[in-house]
Amino acid sequence: MNRRYAHALLLALALSSSKHAVGELDRLNDEALSEVSGQGGIYLSGDISINEMGGPIENGYFGRCDDAGKKCGARLAYRLKEDGGWMVLDEIRGNFAFEGLTLRVRSIDSGFAGDGEAFNGDVVEIGLPDTVRYNDVRFKIAGSNTPRPTDPGFQQTDIFAVEMQGDVIMEGNLLVFPTGNP
Amino acid sequence: MLSRRRLLTPTVWSFCPPRACAVLGLLLGTCTANAELQDLSEQELSEIDGAGIGVVLEDFTFSHGTDTPDANGNQARIFKIGGLRSTDGRDVEIVVNHLYISGTGSNYGQNLSPVNIGRLVNPYRIDVVDGNNIGIRDKAVLEFAAPALVDAAQGYDCMSSGAIAGSGVCSSRPATADFVGERPDIGLQMNVAVGEDRSANINIHAKSAVIDGSYLRLWGDDDRRQMVGQFKLSFQTPELSINACSQDGQSCGSRITMTNFALELAIGNQLQPVFFDVDGTGNFVVEVAAIEPPAPGSIGADGLRGSSDAQTWDFYEDYYTNPDYRSNLHIGNFSVGDRDFGSARVEGMLIQHLDIRTKDLAP
Repeated sequence: MNRRYAHALLLALALSSSKHAVGELDRLNDEALSEVSGQGGIYLSGDISINEMGGPIENGYFGRCDDAGKKCGARLAYRLKEDGGWMVLDEIRGNFAFEGLTLRVRSIDSGFAGDGEAFNGDVVEIGLPDTVRYNDVRFKIAGSNTPRPTDPGFQQTDIFAVEMQGDVIMEGNLLVFPTGNP
Repeated sequence: MLSRRRLLTPTVWSFCPPRACAVLGLLLGTCTANAELQDLSEQELSEIDGAGIGVVLEDFTFSHGTDTPDANGNQARIFKIGGLRSTDGRDVEIVVNHLYISGTGSNYGQNLSPVNIGRLVNPYRIDVVDGNNIGIRDKAVLEFAAPALVDAAQGYDCMSSGAIAGSGVCSSRPATADFVGERPDIGLQMNVAVGEDRSANINIHAKSAVIDGSYLRLWGDDDRRQMVGQFKLSFQTPELSINACSQDGQSCGSRITMTNFALELAIGNQLQPVFFDVDGTGNFVVEVAAIEPPAPGSIGADGLRGSSDAQTWDFYEDYYTNPDYRSNLHIGNFSVGDRDFGSARVEGMLIQHLDIRTKDLAP
């Protein structure tokens, strides 16, 4: 390339870059802002494990899942009466995986066999992921006289246990919105 | 959902230029110190009406179950309920072969299709409601409610698959040619194994089910210091069927079919709420306390209002005549296989006292 042209090119580049350098962020006035329409939404893929191998606590009761003598799931105990017994969701463990859970705000003013037009508002739409893969998901429903199994006099009655594995079909959209007169 | 306080002044931060504010911030500690919360007056508070949360499922399908094992004994899908025991000490395991929620016309769960659950203008609701409006005095009540029943001039017949507006009190609409409707097919196919005996396969299917008007209300009881509730289930389906099949589902016995099945179940009411508890040995207790007997002499010997204390008499009169406290069951036609047994009605059941306790059968 001719040397003179190269200089001119460099100068032009320098000028253009300096022109960019003076570019500022300007405030949008209300009118301009009112015309901005946001496109939002979240696409989530998840893999959630709860005590798949065992929880963090290791003592006489809780331990690793491969230790047959120990319990390895999470435990949630709640009481519905002052000085009453405890309802327990026990030995919660397993793994859920899903792909394509979506979250967005959707404006509905049509469809739903005429309801959309009457509703004419915004909802939070949670798009269900079509299939959720359960891997060895288990939990137990139980009743207990103390909140923790390590408490003295602990006595627990397991009512039933649930075990789930494989693909669960869950299709559709969950729409959440305020009702009443906010 | 309501805040008793409101933000009196907006943050000063948004009004001062950043640099000045930074200096001010250094001098005064923070620019937002001026913003305060102030109590709302009773007058202001009384004008606020809280909003609940509405939930609608659009084009929803749910299906899960247990597959038959392959040659190696592996199963792709498992859904089991275990940990139960029969009275003779054998383990009971319920293998859920198929649990589904689908659009109408699923042919007992074989052709799953989408369905809407709840309506935008009458959704499923989670709300904290004023107890004074629903007969529970001076309590805030947590309510989980299915779509409310509506005026018969706007509603739809709860059973008919071709119901049109103005034909009944249900809000949920049946499916039409161009709309999936709001009445799902629901079914549960299960195998109940008692010990090694796996012969019991029970399938329950409800077509085009409607639970409009059902609710669960929960609140706290001051005297017993306990959570109490009120549960109302209104379940209507044009066909509820129960049958037993071989384990692979190929050959089935006679189908018990109940057409135009309507169940209105009321457990607990404003006067006798249902109590939930766990006893000292870790067993569940569900209780509906008996209503208090009238004070001696407050009801006359002839039982008439004239000879009784009017307020007490009116209280018991309302308790025994209020249809809201009663449970009903209507079956349009009951048939087994090709035998019809006609219609059945059980009406006006009043739960006066209920005490259910689970019992541990484990050795």
